[in-house]
Amino acid sequence: MGSSNLKSDNIMAVETKNLTKIYHGNIRAVDNVSFSVKQGEIFGLLGPNGAGKTTVIKMIVTLTHITEGTLQVFGIDSAKSAELVRSMLGYVPQSVSVDTDLTGYENLLIFSKLSYVGKKERDERIKEALEYMGLTERAKDLVKHYSGGMMRRLEIAQALVNRPRILLLDEPSIGLDPASKMHVWESIKQLKKQFGTTILITTHDMSEADELCDRIAIMSDGKISVLGSPVELKKSVGGDIITLNLTSVHHGIEFPKDIGKIIHSDEESIQILVENGEEAIPLITNFYRDQKITIDSISINKPNLDDVFMKYAKRRLHDEFSTHASSARRDFVRHTR
Amino acid sequence: MNIARFLSSSITIAEMEARKIRHDTTELWIRIVQPALWLLVFGVTFNTIKAMPTGSFSYIQFITPGILAQSVLFIAIFYGITVVWERDVGIITKLLSTPSPRASIVLGKSLAASLRGVFQAVMIFALALALGVQIRLDPLDILGVFAVVILFAMCFSSLSMLLASFMKTRERMMGIGQALTMPLFFASNAIYPISVMPIWLQYVSKVNPLSYVVDAMRSMLLSGNYENLLIDIFALILATVIFVTLASITIKRLLE
Ligand SMILES: Nc1ncnc2c1ncn2[C@@H]1O[C@H](COP(=O)(O)OP(=O)(O)O)[C@@H](O)[C@H]1O
Ligand SMILES: [Mg+2]
Repeated sequence: MGSSNLKSDNIMAVETKNLTKIYHGNIRAVDNVSFSVKQGEIFGLLGPNGAGKTTVIKMIVTLTHITEGTLQVFGIDSAKSAELVRSMLGYVPQSVSVDTDLTGYENLLIFSKLSYVGKKERDERIKEALEYMGLTERAKDLVKHYSGGMMRRLEIAQALVNRPRILLLDEPSIGLDPASKMHVWESIKQLKKQFGTTILITTHDMSEADELCDRIAIMSDGKISVLGSPVELKKSVGGDIITLNLTSVHHGIEFPKDIGKIIHSDEESIQILVENGEEAIPLITNFYRDQKITIDSISINKPNLDDVFMKYAKRRLHDEFSTHASSARRDFVRHTR
Repeated sequence: MNIARFLSSSITIAEMEARKIRHDTTELWIRIVQPALWLLVFGVTFNTIKAMPTGSFSYIQFITPGILAQSVLFIAIFYGITVVWERDVGIITKLLSTPSPRASIVLGKSLAASLRGVFQAVMIFALALALGVQIRLDPLDILGVFAVVILFAMCFSSLSMLLASFMKTRERMMGIGQALTMPLFFASNAIYPISVMPIWLQYVSKVNPLSYVVDAMRSMLLSGNYENLLIDIFALILATVIFVTLASITIKRLLE
């Protein structure tokens, strides 16, 4: 490294152009995908099982050949300088991959040696990574005695001893209990804030993506069907829905169009579609007060990423069961091992 | 490529194995059972009935180097199974995601196999001494035997990894291992001299790498006649370099 253009801000952390992966037997796992991950952001790749998320990450980590297209990590071509690319990244695979026959400390030690962390920094970094992921007390225990959540955290600690410029997390919270999940989420946010680490995360959990990501790409059948910030994406499926319960419904009142649109009304309730719920509520209450109508209760319903997901990642159930059931099953087998 | 980094990665992989062995030594002890049976039952019996024309050496002297070579061969040829297992639990993915060059990982794995071979050799030495087998205990010869053990294990474990990248499952590797070890073992000079074999088998034995390894070990442990030693060792080094290179190219197939 050391070349000054690596540092410059206009270089993308990851940039792919027409990235394509065809596995044996003509499976188009990734199909002509182009996207960039900006430095310092948390970028989410979302999609159902078999969408091609893991394959994209594997190509970035140079674990699998790129069939077509190009991929650059901080401006370095991954096909040309695979080892240099790997030296800039930290990778947490989808299934547990720490060595259970070693201790937590040893896992970090071996990994830092293989990442050429200098002898002087090594101990300090291992200690920090253990502390950061809350594993200091169990560092001398064999990993086979760890819980699933601890293994995941060790895995992240392992990816951190390298001080990566970009961290790639493949479904980091799969199979974790809510407390461990929170812990992992917190550390991810901290990494971004404290060190400006760029993070690429894959998930099929909408709340996770909403919680963590600055930008999201939704993948389906190897293609990116939409890309944007969570707010933008939610907006694209329609605005917020406000439900009013009124003492009595007065038909024939013209509702002002600049506030929103009534999409449903019955005996005592009205549903109004608005762009931004928080801003619309005062306007709506003012409007009904002027009309001398009393509101009993009011509620906002915001579209969530589930709605976005359903819109952009929809696929026939038929596909889900034939082509992708086997990969899901394989994942399952590996997780339970 | 930076040679110092390359070697340090390989040694780290071997260190990983050493640490695992330290945490659980059971496998080492179980592995000694088979060679012990060969020496104690086969060796002692044939020693008494003197059925084999082993020249100026007793039968048990004759087969000690043979059993040593055979048990290192077993460890090495089945090493691919360990690698397939490590693939299954994600360890290989992890190792290949580090900046270490692929060839250094494969070389390291073959060093790890030879580490197991060295432990095996120590055990067999101890066993032979306990049985009172007369072997030359010249320090240089002993060092030479260990060097051959290390090279031999590296050679065949890298061959095993090469095969594993194509076979991909533990079951197939088990089958391949068995299909290779038995013919290699019985068509070699490990437990009987080549002269007692039928003619066709003698030819097979002459191209059998195990025969050359046993030959090298016998020359150091028994005869002190080093005529063929250099050629034996050179052939091993050459084969090791070839197999490690090929396996480094193919290892990524394991992940596909
Ligand atoms: N090693 C492989 N060989 C053949 N097909 C594969 C392989 N790995 C994944 N696939 C296929 O590629 C597609 C995408 O898989 P993957 O990238 O794992 O999706 P995701 O991570 O989004 O669940 C699936 O159809 C899957 O079956
Ligand atoms: Mg996946």
